[in-house]
Amino acid sequence: MTDHITCDAIVVGAGPAGASAALALARAGRSVIMVERGQFPGAKNVYGGVVYGRVLDDMVPGWWEEVPVERWVVRRSTVMMTPTQSVSVDFRTQAWGEAPYNGMTTLRCHFDAWLAEKATGAGARLLTSTTATGLVRDASGRVTGVRTDRDGAELHAPVVIACDGVNSFLAKEAGLLPRAEASHHTLGVKEVHHLPPSVIEERFGLASDEGVDMEILGCTRAIPGGGFLYTNTDSISVGVVVSLPQLAASGVRPEALISDLTAHPTIAPLLRGSTLREYSAHLIPEGGYDTMPPLAADGLLIAGDAAAMTLAAGLWLEGVNFAIGSGWAAGQAADRALVAGDTSARGLASYRADLESNFVLTDHKRLRKAPSLVLSDRVQQRYPGLICDLAEGMFTVTNPTPKAGGLSMTRRAAAKHGVKLHQLAADTLRGLRIFG
Amino acid sequence: MSTDVPLLVACLRITDLRPHVDPLAGTITRDRLGVALTPADAAALEHALRLAEAWNGRVVVLAAGPASIEPVLREVAGLGVELVRLPLGDEGDGHRYVGELAGDERQLARALVDAMAPFGHPSVVLCGDRSIDRGTGALPAYLAHELGAAQALGLVALAHDASPEAEGRRLIAERRLDGGWRERLSVPLPAVCSVEGAGVRLRRASLAGALAAADTPLPVDRSLDATSASGLLHIGAPAPFRPPTRVQPAPSASDARLRLRDLTGVQVAHDPPTVVEPGSSAEAADIVLAFLARHGYLDDTDAVGGAQ
Repeated sequence: MTDHITCDAIVVGAGPAGASAALALARAGRSVIMVERGQFPGAKNVYGGVVYGRVLDDMVPGWWEEVPVERWVVRRSTVMMTPTQSVSVDFRTQAWGEAPYNGMTTLRCHFDAWLAEKATGAGARLLTSTTATGLVRDASGRVTGVRTDRDGAELHAPVVIACDGVNSFLAKEAGLLPRAEASHHTLGVKEVHHLPPSVIEERFGLASDEGVDMEILGCTRAIPGGGFLYTNTDSISVGVVVSLPQLAASGVRPEALISDLTAHPTIAPLLRGSTLREYSAHLIPEGGYDTMPPLAADGLLIAGDAAAMTLAAGLWLEGVNFAIGSGWAAGQAADRALVAGDTSARGLASYRADLESNFVLTDHKRLRKAPSLVLSDRVQQRYPGLICDLAEGMFTVTNPTPKAGGLSMTRRAAAKHGVKLHQLAADTLRGLRIFG
Repeated sequence: MSTDVPLLVACLRITDLRPHVDPLAGTITRDRLGVALTPADAAALEHALRLAEAWNGRVVVLAAGPASIEPVLREVAGLGVELVRLPLGDEGDGHRYVGELAGDERQLARALVDAMAPFGHPSVVLCGDRSIDRGTGALPAYLAHELGAAQALGLVALAHDASPEAEGRRLIAERRLDGGWRERLSVPLPAVCSVEGAGVRLRRASLAGALAAADTPLPVDRSLDATSASGLLHIGAPAPFRPPTRVQPAPSASDARLRLRDLTGVQVAHDPPTVVEPGSSAEAADIVLAFLARHGYLDDTDAVGGAQ
């Protein structure tokens, strides 16, 4: 006979979403168990990005005093490149380098552990090295707990919150995520290069705790996607994020794309003399609002990457803040449902209502058309070259030939890259509608 | 404490298994995220658990390591063992690591025997092969001496002897011999055994055990701090290397130039140096310059990336 261990709520996954959900429940006085398959929170994570901490303001007041930050991002660079050219739009503000800050680079093995400690400090219990292998249901089909890969018992609770990441097996088992659609996912591959902090600061023009976020377009051959480069304290994360089906169709190895990027004349000098520390890869749910599964079933909520809450909208590439926001809302909704004694899908419906009223679903809904524009053939394959050629034409001194006019240069560059001016205008208008 | 129940003690050394070593300075940096049981220690614990099942005994784990090993200890505690942490290598002081390497294993053995005394006299003490004392393998022998127990070291298999003549007071052990041979030992109790990380796989804690361990405070035996500190060698600045004088026979060649060659050894064949890393002279120069910059000998901006 199987023993049962009972609590008020089970949170599967101790990443940003899971830890936030557990924190909300523990603070409400609920008994909550976090089930984490890694040896510690963040152990199974692949991440190279910026965490935007505004979402933490209410959860952990003064969080910036204690968060395990690598560098506070004060420079944001958008780079368009061809194999031999690049154009950068570089923005810098010192306001982002002061409290309450804007974004930070962080190592998730430290960040996730820190956030999970907030939850355990509030009373949540953390069960590491344990995989939730399936859902436990009652006769009516309602989720009442999880099975794990440990012997001897099942965990039972009126509410299970699935924060088990992209390609969530629990959401699939619950029928909320019918199948993994490759076109809704990208593959992120990353290298971490070690450099002394002083060298990073010299090369990127930074003070001791300042960092850079570079987003790069035109570095993934014919595969839709983009590149990134982030500065950590004594390392640089550099990599690419590419469309999964088109990567498979191309036959190109993902590490070859990183090699292209790190050998590019714009990037190579930034990494010179560095030592490769790490290579990793992970799926990213970038399908956006239209690909999100239902967020609740009887006894079950889904948050974070499991619910496809990654915002990949060209100008904005965010995930952790949406995971935290959704996890926090899921924890609060679960508590309300427990108070009301109704943890059916209907009783948990306030979760979606909360997300609709805050940034999580508002931003996703507003930018729902962005992925299709950002990953379109013209934006990916033609505009980077067009812009680079236009810049080269403008800044090349052709004496004794007089300078060409801007419009004629634009026409020439557009023709060279197979772009018609009406298409350029249409895409500009489309971009304004999406981002405006 | 009753002596009717056989007591099995597992002495485990838990630390970062992949510490970063500065290739030039030799500085060791440990990370709490790399902390884990060695395969040999895991095998020692599994053997202790199996013997305890066979004898209906109880298992005490003495785990040496800093506070950062607690996540690993909780997994161990979930197996239903009694557990005490001995704060060896506490608490983020890198120099203690050198102290551990130069530590007096006999002193450490005495400290471990003191720590197990409150639980009773052990029937079997198990260690990972070459684990707790970082490679010398001397600790189990010292433990056996202190306990007046038999010793069987470097084992690949261990089980209780179920034969009637053993009367439940012997172990059957195996260890490797050269040439692929193995020897089988009959080991009387009490015994100290060290095992290789082979043959058995450490079981996982049950769900209930893991949850119970997550909530339980882990006891710390502070006595090792003072005890072991007194037994540690004091590491200071290294003295310059002075090779001992060797008497060389006088060169016999008639030509002075040849005699000089004999004396200097230029005609003796030497193995060429092996270049392990880095791959090119430019990379080597970068590493050396970065090292000098890191330690304040060069301007940083000239260091990395400055080698031509």
